[in-house]
Amino acid sequence: MKNILTPFEKINKNTKLFISLGWVFVVVLTWYLSSMGERHLFPSPQQVFQGLAELYNEGLVVHIGSSLLLCFSAIIIAIIISLIFSYLSTIPLVQPVAKALSKLRYLPLTGITFYLAILISDARTMQIWVLVVFMSTYLTTSLLSMVNSIPQEEFDHARSLGCNRWEVLWEVVVKGRIDYVIDVIRQNLAIVWMMLVTVESILVAAGGLGFLIKNSDKFMNHGRIIALQIVILVVGLLIDFVLDYLRKGFFRYSKI
Amino acid sequence: MQYTSQNTLLYVENLSVAYGDKTIIKDINIVEKDTVRDGSVTGQVIAVVGRSGTGKSTFFRALTGLVKPTTGKVLIADTTTDSIDDAKEVHEGDIGFVDQKYTLFRNKTVYEALQFALRNKEMSKEEKDKQILTYLKDWGLEKAKDQYPCELSGGQRQRTAIIEQIFCSGHYMVLDEPFSGLDVGNIQDVKNAFKLITESHEFNTIIYSTHDIELAVELADSIYVIGYPEIDGKKMPYGSIVKHIDMKALGIAWKEFGLEHLDIVKQIKEVMLQS
Repeated sequence: MKNILTPFEKINKNTKLFISLGWVFVVVLTWYLSSMGERHLFPSPQQVFQGLAELYNEGLVVHIGSSLLLCFSAIIIAIIISLIFSYLSTIPLVQPVAKALSKLRYLPLTGITFYLAILISDARTMQIWVLVVFMSTYLTTSLLSMVNSIPQEEFDHARSLGCNRWEVLWEVVVKGRIDYVIDVIRQNLAIVWMMLVTVESILVAAGGLGFLIKNSDKFMNHGRIIALQIVILVVGLLIDFVLDYLRKGFFRYSKI
Repeated sequence: MQYTSQNTLLYVENLSVAYGDKTIIKDINIVEKDTVRDGSVTGQVIAVVGRSGTGKSTFFRALTGLVKPTTGKVLIADTTTDSIDDAKEVHEGDIGFVDQKYTLFRNKTVYEALQFALRNKEMSKEEKDKQILTYLKDWGLEKAKDQYPCELSGGQRQRTAIIEQIFCSGHYMVLDEPFSGLDVGNIQDVKNAFKLITESHEFNTIIYSTHDIELAVELADSIYVIGYPEIDGKKMPYGSIVKHIDMKALGIAWKEFGLEHLDIVKQIKEVMLQS
């Protein structure tokens, strides 16, 4: 047991479980202690559970569904755009465009929403496209990095087997890196999930977790706000787990 | 040992490769002919030795058409025509290439990789399946048939990479340091692979690089030493052939490793240290 304080020490499964449970206990205890008394920063667990029950009765599941739908609609469009640019970045003519798209991630969101508001009248479509524009820049950055990190030997290997350049692109970059694409989506999905509050506040009528947080925030209902934060975190972690599971399940060779 | 040299299989003339202002290799000239021995099928085994950084890998990339020569040309026998003298310039895919890491498609199983290597052959699906299964059996890869590269041992990866190239590229194969990092068992596997390749067709030609001079001398019938050449007492900054040893002409090719071979090892080491 004393080894748990030694750097680089290997520990068994039971000890790992014990450590994790210990930390959960510390967090819960800190929460209880910090929410005691009249003046406190965090709402008490009872307030959070009460907030959660209220949210459930107000249709929390429907709001989660709405957020997920928004999230997936945006990510599908964003990944298609990013994949096209990233794959075609191997063509010298397209490479500067792909790199420029990646650099646009430094552009502030406010500027983008202003022009999107002029172009798009439907608020739901507007929400999706704000996320798409925002996501595409990050996804393109990750995907370009994925393409650039493919070792030269893999291209040479395909060429030595008589593949023409388009076949090399298809076999090595497209087919050979599908599992990486899933991992890139998994990592970048966290950014979309984080952006929900901002984007969903554009159209409150469409609901969603972001709308619920904004609504709770307005009435300073801390119990609900923390309950929602926990729900958002759990749903995000679930998506992350499912994507990772799919990657490992579908692609046995994937050892990322 | 009696042999005759017949039509030219590999012709490299004034080959040089430069990246920008930096010349990596220059003035490389090689002529290798088909060696014919009575009573046996004899492919060619050519070793390229040299110290690190002298441009062996660049030479191999140029030889296999993976990099375009800055000057010069690489010609190989065109075995697709009826005439024995026809030659063609090398393009990528004409000469098989197995790199030091035995790179394979990471998303294809051994069987799928071999199927891919045969994709352009004019054979029926059944014939292709039969050929793949025969090779898998002969090369001890039957159990690895449905495994991905990440699930294979170094030796299995290497054998798969070699079979892929045999299926795809005809008579020529270049192997960049095929013995590096292998244990005695795997080294023996590669030696057996060389034997299988060279005994299966008269034109089959293996060109490999190695840092193990003893293995070069033991296996090759022609050895090229790449180093920095000296011109007018000044060492040049690019790699070139600094010595060629024709083991056939010396009468020690295809023989058990002995004292004569040791003498060649000593000579090669001296040349390598000087260049």
